[in-house]
Amino acid sequence: MSTDAVAIKGKVKDYIQQATFVDRDKIRDDSLIFKEGYFDSMGFVVLITYLEENFGIKTTDSDLVEENFESINAITDFVIRKNGN
Amino acid sequence: MDTRKPFSKEMILLENIEEAVSRITGKLQQDILINFKRNGAVIGISGGIDSSVCMALSVKAFGADKVVGIIMPEKDSSPDSEELALELAGKFGIRTIKEVITGALDGFGCYSRRDEAVKRVFPEYDPGTYKMKIGIRQSGLYNNLPPLFTLSIIDEKGIQQDKMLHAREYLQIVAASNFKQRSRMSILYYHAEALHYAVVGTPNKHEQEQGFFVKHGDGAGDVMPIGNLYKTQVYQLAEHLGVPHRIIERTPTTDTYSAAQTQEEFFYQLPFRLMDIFWYGFENGYTAKEVASVMGDTEERVDALFRNFERKRKTTEYLRMPPVRDYFGI
Repeated sequence: MSTDAVAIKGKVKDYIQQATFVDRDKIRDDSLIFKEGYFDSMGFVVLITYLEENFGIKTTDSDLVEENFESINAITDFVIRKNGN
Repeated sequence: MDTRKPFSKEMILLENIEEAVSRITGKLQQDILINFKRNGAVIGISGGIDSSVCMALSVKAFGADKVVGIIMPEKDSSPDSEELALELAGKFGIRTIKEVITGALDGFGCYSRRDEAVKRVFPEYDPGTYKMKIGIRQSGLYNNLPPLFTLSIIDEKGIQQDKMLHAREYLQIVAASNFKQRSRMSILYYHAEALHYAVVGTPNKHEQEQGFFVKHGDGAGDVMPIGNLYKTQVYQLAEHLGVPHRIIERTPTTDTYSAAQTQEEFFYQLPFRLMDIFWYGFENGYTAKEVASVMGDTEERVDALFRNFERKRKTTEYLRMPPVRDYFGI
Protein backbone atom coordinates (compact mmCIF):
# COMPACT_ATOMS: atom_id res chain seq x y z
CA MET A 1 0.00 0.00 0.00
CA SER A 2 1.41 3.43 -0.93
CA THR A 3 2.06 6.16 1.64
CA ASP A 4 -0.87 8.06 0.17
CA ALA A 5 -3.22 5.12 0.65
CA VAL A 6 -2.11 4.65 4.25
CA ALA A 7 -2.67 8.34 4.97
CA ILE A 8 -6.11 8.34 3.30
CA LYS A 9 -7.18 5.21 5.17
CA GLY A 10 -6.02 6.72 8.48
CA LYS A 11 -8.02 9.89 7.88
CA VAL A 12 -11.12 7.98 6.81
CA LYS A 13 -10.86 5.76 9.89
CA ASP A 14 -10.46 8.74 12.20
CA TYR A 15 -13.44 10.42 10.60
CA ILE A 16 -15.69 7.35 10.88
CA GLN A 17 -14.75 6.80 14.49
CA GLN A 18 -15.39 10.42 15.38
CA ALA A 19 -18.68 10.52 13.42
CA THR A 20 -20.13 7.27 14.76
CA PHE A 21 -18.83 7.23 18.36
CA VAL A 22 -17.88 3.57 17.83
CA ASP A 23 -14.58 2.31 19.31
CA ARG A 24 -11.76 2.27 16.77
CA ASP A 25 -11.13 -1.45 17.50
CA LYS A 26 -14.72 -2.36 16.67
CA ILE A 27 -14.70 -1.05 13.10
CA ARG A 28 -12.33 -3.15 11.00
CA ASP A 29 -11.11 -1.99 7.59
CA ASP A 30 -13.54 -4.41 5.95
CA SER A 31 -16.51 -3.88 8.33
CA LEU A 32 -19.67 -3.14 6.34
CA ILE A 33 -20.35 0.26 7.84
CA PHE A 34 -23.80 0.77 6.29
CA LYS A 35 -25.02 -2.81 6.51
CA GLU A 36 -24.07 -2.89 10.18
CA GLY A 37 -25.88 0.39 10.78
CA TYR A 38 -22.99 2.64 11.83
CA PHE A 39 -24.22 5.31 9.44
CA ASP A 40 -27.74 6.53 8.72
CA SER A 41 -28.89 8.69 5.82
CA MET A 42 -27.54 11.92 7.30
CA GLY A 43 -24.30 10.14 8.16
CA PHE A 44 -23.90 9.26 4.49
CA VAL A 45 -24.58 12.84 3.35
CA VAL A 46 -21.99 14.14 5.82
CA LEU A 47 -19.48 11.44 4.81
CA ILE A 48 -19.74 12.50 1.14
CA THR A 49 -19.25 16.14 2.13
CA TYR A 50 -16.22 15.16 4.25
CA LEU A 51 -14.63 13.21 1.39
CA GLU A 52 -15.24 16.01 -1.12
CA GLU A 53 -13.92 18.72 1.16
CA ASN A 54 -10.91 16.82 2.49
CA PHE A 55 -9.73 14.89 -0.56
CA GLY A 56 -10.74 17.29 -3.32
CA ILE A 57 -12.95 14.78 -5.11
CA LYS A 58 -16.36 15.28 -6.72
CA THR A 59 -18.90 12.45 -6.55
CA THR A 60 -21.25 11.83 -9.44
CA ASP A 61 -24.48 9.79 -9.54
CA SER A 62 -22.66 6.77 -10.95
CA ASP A 63 -20.30 6.80 -7.93
CA LEU A 64 -23.17 6.26 -5.50
CA VAL A 65 -22.97 2.48 -5.37
CA GLU A 66 -22.38 0.23 -2.42
CA GLU A 67 -19.01 -1.01 -3.69
CA ASN A 68 -17.53 2.50 -3.26
CA PHE A 69 -18.71 3.12 0.30
CA GLU A 70 -19.40 -0.17 2.04
CA SER A 71 -16.21 -0.22 4.17
CA ILE A 72 -13.10 1.77 5.07
CA ASN A 73 -11.19 -0.23 2.45
CA ALA A 74 -13.80 0.55 -0.21
CA ILE A 75 -13.85 4.28 0.62
CA THR A 76 -10.04 4.44 0.55
CA ASP A 77 -9.94 2.74 -2.87
CA PHE A 78 -12.67 5.07 -4.12
CA VAL A 79 -10.81 8.22 -3.03
CA ILE A 80 -7.58 6.94 -4.59
CA ARG A 81 -9.38 6.12 -7.85
CA LYS A 82 -11.10 9.51 -7.98
CA ASN A 83 -7.81 11.28 -7.42
CA GLY A 84 -6.24 9.25 -10.20
CA ASN A 85 -3.51 8.01 -7.88
CA MET B 1 -45.34 -26.07 14.18
CA ASP B 2 -45.68 -23.00 11.98
CA THR B 3 -49.27 -21.81 12.38
CA ARG B 4 -48.90 -18.75 10.16
CA LYS B 5 -50.99 -18.47 7.02
CA PRO B 6 -48.98 -18.77 3.81
CA PHE B 7 -47.94 -15.32 2.60
CA SER B 8 -50.27 -13.71 0.06
CA LYS B 9 -50.97 -10.28 -1.40
CA GLU B 10 -54.49 -10.28 0.04
CA MET B 11 -53.44 -10.72 3.67
CA ILE B 12 -53.22 -7.00 4.09
CA LEU B 13 -56.87 -6.31 3.28
CA LEU B 14 -59.32 -5.59 6.09
CA GLU B 15 -61.83 -8.43 5.95
CA ASN B 16 -64.55 -6.75 7.96
CA ILE B 17 -64.42 -3.00 7.36
CA GLU B 18 -67.53 -2.28 9.38
CA GLU B 19 -65.97 -3.94 12.41
CA ALA B 20 -62.69 -2.02 11.93
CA VAL B 21 -64.61 1.28 11.80
CA SER B 22 -66.59 0.36 14.88
CA ARG B 23 -63.44 -0.53 16.86
CA ILE B 24 -61.63 2.66 15.84
CA THR B 25 -64.58 4.94 16.59
CA GLY B 26 -65.23 3.17 19.90
CA LYS B 27 -61.63 3.75 20.94
CA LEU B 28 -61.76 7.37 19.78
CA GLN B 29 -64.77 7.93 22.04
CA GLN B 30 -63.07 6.16 24.94
CA ASP B 31 -59.80 8.08 24.56
CA ILE B 32 -61.08 11.56 23.81
CA LEU B 33 -64.35 11.76 25.73
CA ILE B 34 -63.66 9.51 28.70
CA ASN B 35 -59.87 9.39 29.19
CA PHE B 36 -58.94 12.91 28.05
CA LYS B 37 -62.28 14.46 29.05
CA ARG B 38 -62.34 16.53 25.86
CA ASN B 39 -65.59 17.27 24.03
CA GLY B 40 -64.73 16.73 20.37
CA ALA B 41 -62.04 16.67 17.71
CA VAL B 42 -59.98 19.19 15.77
CA ILE B 43 -58.32 17.95 12.55
CA GLY B 44 -56.13 19.62 9.99
CA ILE B 45 -57.68 18.76 6.64
CA SER B 46 -55.49 18.98 3.55
CA GLY B 47 -57.60 17.28 0.91
CA GLY B 48 -55.37 14.21 1.26
CA ILE B 49 -56.58 10.69 1.90
CA ASP B 50 -55.23 10.33 5.46
CA SER B 51 -56.72 13.47 6.95
CA SER B 52 -59.99 12.80 5.10
CA VAL B 53 -60.33 9.34 6.61
CA CYS B 54 -59.44 10.63 10.08
CA MET B 55 -62.09 13.30 9.72
CA ALA B 56 -64.73 10.82 8.55
CA LEU B 57 -63.89 8.49 11.47
CA SER B 58 -64.15 11.41 13.89
CA VAL B 59 -67.57 12.38 12.53
CA LYS B 60 -68.73 8.80 13.07
CA ALA B 61 -67.34 8.84 16.61
CA PHE B 62 -68.51 12.26 17.81
CA GLY B 63 -71.05 13.58 15.28
CA ALA B 64 -70.46 16.36 12.75
CA ASP B 65 -71.21 19.12 15.27
CA LYS B 66 -68.28 17.99 17.47
CA VAL B 67 -65.65 17.96 14.72
CA VAL B 68 -63.87 21.03 13.34
CA GLY B 69 -61.70 20.87 10.22
CA ILE B 70 -58.88 23.38 10.02
CA ILE B 71 -57.59 24.30 6.56
CA MET B 72 -54.10 25.79 6.74
CA PRO B 73 -52.75 26.85 3.36
CA GLU B 74 -49.55 28.81 2.82
CA LYS B 75 -48.08 30.37 -0.27
CA ASP B 76 -46.51 27.12 -1.57
CA SER B 77 -49.67 25.03 -1.08
CA SER B 78 -51.45 23.56 -4.06
CA PRO B 79 -54.85 25.29 -4.56
CA ASP B 80 -56.37 21.80 -4.98
CA SER B 81 -55.75 21.09 -1.30
CA GLU B 82 -58.16 23.75 -0.05
CA GLU B 83 -60.79 22.99 -2.67
CA LEU B 84 -60.79 19.28 -1.84
CA ALA B 85 -60.79 19.93 1.91
CA LEU B 86 -63.90 22.11 1.48
CA GLU B 87 -65.60 19.45 -0.64
CA LEU B 88 -64.89 16.88 2.07
CA ALA B 89 -66.13 19.13 4.87
CA GLY B 90 -69.29 19.91 2.89
CA LYS B 91 -70.03 16.25 2.34
CA PHE B 92 -69.66 15.38 6.04
CA GLY B 93 -71.31 18.57 7.29
CA ILE B 94 -68.52 19.76 9.59
CA ARG B 95 -67.52 23.32 10.38
CA THR B 96 -64.26 24.51 8.85
CA ILE B 97 -61.90 27.29 9.82
CA LYS B 98 -59.33 28.60 7.35
CA GLU B 99 -56.03 29.76 8.78
CA VAL B 100 -53.54 31.09 6.24
CA ILE B 101 -50.14 30.46 7.83
CA THR B 102 -47.99 32.38 5.30
CA GLY B 103 -47.62 35.34 7.69
CA ALA B 104 -46.58 33.12 10.60
CA LEU B 105 -44.08 31.34 8.37
CA ASP B 106 -42.70 34.68 7.20
CA GLY B 107 -42.31 35.66 10.83
CA PHE B 108 -40.36 32.50 11.59
CA GLY B 109 -38.16 33.11 8.56
CA CYS B 110 -39.27 29.82 7.04
CA TYR B 111 -39.05 31.01 3.44
CA SER B 112 -35.99 33.28 3.84
CA ARG B 113 -33.95 30.64 5.70
CA ARG B 114 -34.90 28.02 3.10
CA ASP B 115 -34.18 30.29 0.14
CA GLU B 116 -30.83 31.36 1.57
CA ALA B 117 -29.73 27.69 1.57
CA VAL B 118 -31.15 27.11 -1.93
CA LYS B 119 -29.19 30.13 -3.23
CA ARG B 120 -25.95 28.68 -1.87
CA VAL B 121 -26.51 25.73 -4.22
CA PHE B 122 -28.05 27.68 -7.12
CA PRO B 123 -27.01 31.38 -6.96
CA GLU B 124 -29.48 32.21 -9.76
CA TYR B 125 -32.47 30.93 -7.72
CA ASP B 126 -35.19 33.54 -7.25
CA PRO B 127 -38.24 32.32 -5.33
CA GLY B 128 -40.42 34.70 -7.38
CA THR B 129 -39.62 32.98 -10.65
CA TYR B 130 -38.36 29.53 -9.71
CA LYS B 131 -40.02 26.63 -7.94
CA MET B 132 -37.95 24.21 -5.83
CA LYS B 133 -38.12 20.76 -4.31
CA ILE B 134 -35.93 18.11 -2.74
CA GLY B 135 -35.81 14.61 -4.22
CA ILE B 136 -33.93 11.38 -3.71
CA ARG B 137 -30.72 11.16 -5.70
CA GLN B 138 -30.40 7.42 -6.17
CA SER B 139 -32.60 4.48 -5.39
CA GLY B 140 -31.35 3.08 -2.12
CA LEU B 141 -34.13 0.52 -1.88
CA TYR B 142 -32.20 -2.48 -3.06
CA ASN B 143 -28.79 -1.82 -1.57
CA ASN B 144 -27.43 -0.98 1.84
CA LEU B 145 -26.68 2.67 1.13
CA PRO B 146 -29.11 5.23 2.53
CA PRO B 147 -30.41 7.75 -0.01
CA LEU B 148 -28.77 11.06 -0.80
CA PHE B 149 -30.81 14.08 -1.72
CA THR B 150 -31.04 16.30 -4.77
CA LEU B 151 -32.18 19.89 -4.84
CA SER B 152 -34.15 20.78 -7.96
CA ILE B 153 -35.12 24.23 -9.16
CA ILE B 154 -37.55 24.74 -12.02
CA ASP B 155 -37.79 28.00 -13.97
CA GLU B 156 -40.87 29.57 -15.54
CA LYS B 157 -40.30 27.67 -18.79
CA GLY B 158 -40.31 24.39 -16.88
CA ILE B 159 -36.59 23.80 -17.25
CA GLN B 160 -35.30 21.83 -14.28
CA GLN B 161 -31.79 21.81 -12.84
CA ASP B 162 -30.69 19.27 -10.24
CA LYS B 163 -27.72 19.26 -7.88
CA MET B 164 -26.72 17.01 -5.03
CA LEU B 165 -27.44 18.53 -1.65
CA HIS B 166 -24.64 18.66 0.86
CA ALA B 167 -25.29 18.31 4.56
CA ARG B 168 -25.37 21.98 5.53
CA GLU B 169 -27.85 23.02 2.84
CA TYR B 170 -29.99 19.90 3.19
CA LEU B 171 -30.34 20.36 6.93
CA GLN B 172 -31.15 24.06 6.62
CA ILE B 173 -33.80 23.55 3.92
CA VAL B 174 -35.48 20.74 5.87
CA ALA B 175 -35.28 22.59 9.20
CA ALA B 176 -36.78 25.74 7.62
CA SER B 177 -39.52 23.79 5.82
CA ASN B 178 -40.45 22.02 9.04
CA PHE B 179 -41.79 25.33 10.33
CA LYS B 180 -44.79 24.55 8.11
CA GLN B 181 -45.81 21.37 9.90
CA ARG B 182 -45.00 22.79 13.34
CA SER B 183 -46.95 26.00 12.69
CA ARG B 184 -49.93 23.94 11.59
CA MET B 185 -49.75 21.88 14.77
CA SER B 186 -49.64 25.10 16.86
CA ILE B 187 -52.81 26.33 15.15
CA LEU B 188 -54.52 22.96 15.70
CA TYR B 189 -53.74 23.10 19.42
CA TYR B 190 -54.97 26.69 19.61
CA HIS B 191 -58.38 25.64 18.31
CA ALA B 192 -58.44 22.40 20.29
CA GLU B 193 -57.72 24.22 23.56
CA ALA B 194 -60.16 27.05 22.77
CA LEU B 195 -62.93 24.49 22.23
CA HIS B 196 -61.76 21.98 24.86
CA TYR B 197 -61.39 19.43 22.07
CA ALA B 198 -58.51 17.02 21.26
CA VAL B 199 -56.21 17.09 18.23
CA VAL B 200 -56.57 14.13 15.90
CA GLY B 201 -53.21 13.29 14.32
CA THR B 202 -53.35 11.91 10.80
CA PRO B 203 -50.17 9.85 10.13
CA ASN B 204 -50.60 6.34 8.76
CA LYS B 205 -48.49 3.29 9.61
CA HIS B 206 -45.77 3.93 6.99
CA GLU B 207 -45.33 7.54 7.98
CA GLN B 208 -45.02 6.49 11.60
CA GLU B 209 -42.71 3.53 11.17
CA GLN B 210 -40.51 4.92 8.41
CA GLY B 211 -40.25 8.33 10.03
CA PHE B 212 -41.96 10.32 7.28
CA PHE B 213 -43.21 13.07 9.57
CA VAL B 214 -41.95 16.13 11.40
CA LYS B 215 -41.33 15.61 15.09
CA HIS B 216 -43.71 17.86 17.05
CA GLY B 217 -45.24 18.83 13.70
CA ASP B 218 -47.51 16.49 11.76
CA GLY B 219 -46.14 13.72 14.00
CA ALA B 220 -47.93 15.25 16.99
CA GLY B 221 -51.55 15.03 18.15
CA ASP B 222 -53.51 13.41 20.98
CA VAL B 223 -54.71 10.34 19.06
CA MET B 224 -53.74 8.76 15.74
CA PRO B 225 -56.67 6.65 14.56
CA ILE B 226 -54.95 5.37 11.40
CA GLY B 227 -51.43 5.23 12.89
CA ASN B 228 -51.43 1.45 12.73
CA LEU B 229 -53.09 1.07 9.32
CA TYR B 230 -51.47 0.39 5.98
CA LYS B 231 -52.26 2.80 3.17
CA THR B 232 -54.23 0.06 1.37
CA GLN B 233 -56.43 -0.24 4.46
CA VAL B 234 -56.81 3.54 4.68
CA TYR B 235 -58.17 3.47 1.11
CA GLN B 236 -60.55 0.67 2.06
CA LEU B 237 -61.86 2.82 4.91
CA ALA B 238 -62.11 5.85 2.61
CA GLU B 239 -64.37 3.96 0.20
CA HIS B 240 -66.47 2.60 3.03
CA LEU B 241 -66.86 5.95 4.78
CA GLY B 242 -67.78 7.81 1.59
CA VAL B 243 -64.73 10.04 1.17
CA PRO B 244 -65.14 11.93 -2.16
CA HIS B 245 -63.64 10.07 -5.11
CA ARG B 246 -61.58 13.07 -6.19
CA ILE B 247 -59.66 12.66 -2.93
CA ILE B 248 -59.37 8.88 -3.22
CA GLU B 249 -58.04 9.16 -6.77
CA ARG B 250 -55.55 11.94 -6.02
CA THR B 251 -51.85 11.00 -5.97
CA PRO B 252 -50.46 11.55 -2.44
CA THR B 253 -48.17 14.60 -2.47
CA THR B 254 -45.90 16.23 0.09
CA ASP B 255 -47.41 19.71 -0.57
CA THR B 256 -44.39 21.17 1.22
CA TYR B 257 -42.13 22.62 -1.48
CA SER B 258 -43.14 25.11 -4.16
CA ALA B 259 -42.68 22.54 -6.97
CA ALA B 260 -45.14 19.64 -7.14
CA GLN B 261 -43.83 16.40 -5.69
CA THR B 262 -45.31 12.99 -4.95
CA GLN B 263 -44.63 11.17 -1.68
CA GLU B 264 -43.24 8.25 -3.68
CA GLU B 265 -40.73 10.54 -5.41
CA PHE B 266 -39.65 12.23 -2.19
CA PHE B 267 -39.55 9.37 0.24
CA TYR B 268 -41.00 5.93 -0.35
CA GLN B 269 -39.51 5.10 -3.78
CA LEU B 270 -42.11 2.37 -4.24
CA PRO B 271 -45.85 2.54 -5.04
CA PHE B 272 -47.80 2.27 -1.78
CA ARG B 273 -49.65 -0.91 -2.79
CA LEU B 274 -46.33 -2.73 -3.17
CA MET B 275 -44.77 -1.03 -0.17
CA ASP B 276 -47.70 -2.23 1.97
CA ILE B 277 -47.35 -5.88 0.99
CA PHE B 278 -43.57 -5.96 1.38
CA TRP B 279 -43.77 -4.19 4.73
CA TYR B 280 -46.46 -6.60 5.92
CA GLY B 281 -44.20 -9.54 5.09
CA PHE B 282 -41.25 -7.84 6.77
CA GLU B 283 -42.96 -6.99 10.04
CA ASN B 284 -44.80 -10.28 10.32
CA GLY B 285 -41.65 -12.35 10.06
CA TYR B 286 -42.12 -13.83 6.58
CA THR B 287 -38.82 -14.71 4.93
CA ALA B 288 -37.53 -12.92 1.86
CA LYS B 289 -37.93 -16.21 -0.01
CA GLU B 290 -41.64 -16.55 0.92
CA VAL B 291 -42.38 -12.95 -0.04
CA ALA B 292 -40.30 -13.03 -3.23
CA SER B 293 -42.13 -16.05 -4.61
CA VAL B 294 -45.54 -14.36 -4.15
CA MET B 295 -44.39 -10.98 -5.46
CA GLY B 296 -42.56 -12.37 -8.48
CA ASP B 297 -39.30 -10.84 -7.29
CA THR B 298 -35.92 -12.32 -6.41
CA GLU B 299 -35.04 -13.39 -2.88
CA GLU B 300 -31.92 -11.24 -3.03
CA ARG B 301 -33.86 -8.07 -3.86
CA VAL B 302 -36.52 -8.69 -1.20
CA ASP B 303 -33.79 -9.40 1.33
CA ALA B 304 -32.17 -6.05 0.45
CA LEU B 305 -35.57 -4.36 0.75
CA PHE B 306 -36.09 -5.85 4.22
CA ARG B 307 -32.67 -4.59 5.32
CA ASN B 308 -33.63 -1.17 4.00
CA PHE B 309 -36.88 -1.25 6.02
CA GLU B 310 -34.98 -2.31 9.13
CA ARG B 311 -32.49 0.51 8.67
CA LYS B 312 -35.26 3.07 8.16
CA ARG B 313 -37.07 1.92 11.29
CA LYS B 314 -33.89 1.96 13.34
CA THR B 315 -32.56 5.29 12.14
CA THR B 316 -35.88 7.10 12.64
CA GLU B 317 -36.41 5.84 16.20
CA TYR B 318 -35.40 9.28 17.49
CA LEU B 319 -38.41 10.86 15.77
CA ARG B 320 -40.86 8.57 17.56
CA MET B 321 -39.34 8.91 21.01
CA PRO B 322 -40.97 11.12 23.62
CA PRO B 323 -38.53 13.34 25.56
CA VAL B 324 -36.28 11.18 27.73
CA ARG B 325 -36.76 12.03 31.39
CA ASP B 326 -35.45 9.08 33.36
CA TYR B 327 -32.17 10.77 34.31
CA PHE B 328 -32.47 11.01 38.04
CA GLY B 329 -35.22 10.81 40.59
CA ILE B 330 -35.99 9.33 43.95
